[in-house]
Amino acid sequence: MQSTLHRLLYDTGTLVDGWRAAAHAGWGWPSFAVDALFQLGWAVAAALFLALNALFIIWFERKVAARMQLRRGPNRVGPFGLLQTLADTGKLLIKEDIIPSAADRAVFRAAPFVVLAATFLLFVVLPFGRGLVAADLNVGVVYFLAVGGISVVGILAGGWASNNKYSLMGGMRSAAQIVSYEVPAVLAVLSVALLAGSLRMGDIVRAQPSYGYILLQPVGFLLFLVASNAEINRGPFDLPESDSELVSGFVTEYSAMRFAFFFLAEYTNLFLAAAFATTLFLGGWRGPLLPPVAWFLIKSYLVVFVLIWIRWTYPRLRVDHLMELSWKVLLPLALLNLLVTAVLVKVL
Amino acid sequence: MYAPTPPRGILLVLDGLASLGKGLWITFSAMFRKPITVPYPEKRVVLPLRFRGRLVMPLDPEKGDNRCTACMRCVKICPNHSIDIEKARGADGEPVPKPASYRYNLGTCIFCNLCVETCPFFAIVMSDEHELATADPSRLVIDLAAEKYSLGGKKGAWWQKKFRGEEP
Repeated sequence: MQSTLHRLLYDTGTLVDGWRAAAHAGWGWPSFAVDALFQLGWAVAAALFLALNALFIIWFERKVAARMQLRRGPNRVGPFGLLQTLADTGKLLIKEDIIPSAADRAVFRAAPFVVLAATFLLFVVLPFGRGLVAADLNVGVVYFLAVGGISVVGILAGGWASNNKYSLMGGMRSAAQIVSYEVPAVLAVLSVALLAGSLRMGDIVRAQPSYGYILLQPVGFLLFLVASNAEINRGPFDLPESDSELVSGFVTEYSAMRFAFFFLAEYTNLFLAAAFATTLFLGGWRGPLLPPVAWFLIKSYLVVFVLIWIRWTYPRLRVDHLMELSWKVLLPLALLNLLVTAVLVKVL
Repeated sequence: MYAPTPPRGILLVLDGLASLGKGLWITFSAMFRKPITVPYPEKRVVLPLRFRGRLVMPLDPEKGDNRCTACMRCVKICPNHSIDIEKARGADGEPVPKPASYRYNLGTCIFCNLCVETCPFFAIVMSDEHELATADPSRLVIDLAAEKYSLGGKKGAWWQKKFRGEEP
């Protein structure tokens, strides 16, 4: 019998299922209450991870950006400036929450939480390790793509409710961009689903060869990386919040904690895009020796680094070039990739 | 009309892709270079000789006094009247070529160096002092003549060479 800690790290699924079965049998609670409690446990864990992850990624991005620009980056608060984001969060918490007088108050208040909720919901299907997943839906990939699209509602609502031309234009651009880039992203994911023969995240991870689908689907991986980078509104596709023309896009009128929530959602989306790419193309949590969670995080943060690297290298695209790239380059490539994959899967 | 022939079009695409790679390499290799910024309060850069800190009127070591003759040229050229000189008077009440007081207003000075350039006697210099923030407004007006500043170091040597005519 292996120690509980070892099982928690390497085989979380069976361990937690065992606890749940014991709770069902021994506690004498109604079964829905036990299930709700366990799901709440997953939710709390996900929320905790979401907060810590954002704290880390924001610091990481600032540090990487600084090094690429021959600067030092945050180095005052805590060792290597690690606590910088914590200090910034504290600052945002005590700042005044300003709502413009002409804003649509209810929508303005709700928008950041819609975006964050959509982001938070994505954690449901994300397999962090063997069985370390809140619910491994049989349509997990579809769920991920569909729920990921909800955040555009919040962004558009925030832009609209601010009653500010820059906010509205930022929101509109974001909507157009997410809708356009969703298509090649979905097609790239579809070719992976064809290879794996399943839409369940866990199955896709298990179906992959040890080197991951990245070698079988190099074009698909690149397409997905570019499209998801555009979907999370990050450079060089950061038109919705391009500072030089739109002040700050849909977050222009936001301040204090509402701004922080948009920011939190943005960086969590960065991680989720990387995590999704890891799950689909890089073999997810699989890897030798280290616990699955460690492999998953290492791979995900590697992809996060690549996305940060891309952001701090390329200049922003023009808005019509952005649409051209999606509809005239990525979409035909994605269709071709899907066609070739489908034929090869059928033939081989 | 711009219409690339197919081979050229392909070359353009390949060239574009290669340039994307080049860009990534530049930012990646920059990560391993030393930062060029200096963590300021702990470490400081060596200031250049012509750095413009606040104005000072150094003592000429040979004269044991400042070199000002109260000619008012700095007062006239100062764009925002940051300098106010009171001429000294002798025992007979006639003005003598010395400043009784040389009030320099740090609060309005824009560090344009015009007063230094116009001074025919090299009486004033912009020093290296740059940490000038203060919560007390009265400290912003300084009587440079009464201050009897002694300018040492490289800057002092450079300044002395200037008024001796050894350096243009």
